[in-house]
Amino acid sequence: MVVKAFSSEWASEFKDEVNKSSVYEQAAKGWKWTVGLVVEAEPDKHFPDARGIVMDLYEGKARNVTVGTAADAQKCDFVITAPYTRWKEVATKQLDATKGMLQGKLKLKGDLPTIVRYTKASQEMTECTTRVPVEWPDES
Amino acid sequence: MARRKLKSAEDERPLVEYADQEPSAFSSMLGGLIEANVKGREEKQGDFENLVARVGIFVTDIDEGVTLDFKGGKLVVHNGLKPRRTITIRTDAETVMNLSNLKIGPLGLPIYVDEVGRGVALKLLRGSLKIDGLLPNLLTLNAVTRVFSVQ
Repeated sequence: MVVKAFSSEWASEFKDEVNKSSVYEQAAKGWKWTVGLVVEAEPDKHFPDARGIVMDLYEGKARNVTVGTAADAQKCDFVITAPYTRWKEVATKQLDATKGMLQGKLKLKGDLPTIVRYTKASQEMTECTTRVPVEWPDES
Repeated sequence: MARRKLKSAEDERPLVEYADQEPSAFSSMLGGLIEANVKGREEKQGDFENLVARVGIFVTDIDEGVTLDFKGGKLVVHNGLKPRRTITIRTDAETVMNLSNLKIGPLGLPIYVDEVGRGVALKLLRGSLKIDGLLPNLLTLNAVTRVFSVQ
């Protein structure tokens, strides 16, 4: 099922993909923090308002993934912020998330040693985003 | 009273300074990582206090480098590779992350026999991880790895 990018339906599909991944389950053992993704607005790309994705991740499972405001996502333990186009690049495998963070294309807030310890889990989570068929607002 | 004040001032001294007015994202990330590691893990503090070396890290797939100038209890992070480096590590972004995930064994030596360690060792053998100055500075490299490792 194709879903609109960063919609509630997308969040639900993404959560299912994470929970289906045995790689993620193994790599994220011990993870117990919330992660917020801030998708900054790009009106010229038909993405007029910023959105926040709040991921409640616990011990290798996604307990909940919801879409709200950027402020909701900013309250999480770890926050990754980027404009809409960057997130699209990540979800379409044009940008590797690790490289994106080292280059400052994705801005990370949170305890660095913890996020680095879970590099493999975050890479697999990125893989999960690529498995969700998405309708992009700037392509429709 | 005076003694307590002195200790407090010492505790608050910045461990990491940035040489550039606008540190690159890579500089900020490595500087932030080492600072959090040293502040949060007592076993890293001895190495950090004793480490005097100029370590370059160049990430081949993003074409960006930093120089970590360890000055015995203080680290100055420079954007790009600066001259007079003791050790220079050249590899891809994924391996840089793996280097910081190397486990440290009981003798303070990095473990190269688990999954992450084997991956790093294999890249070294295949030449996709290059370390200039490795042989004469093996002990320094081990100390840098201990400070850098989040495991």
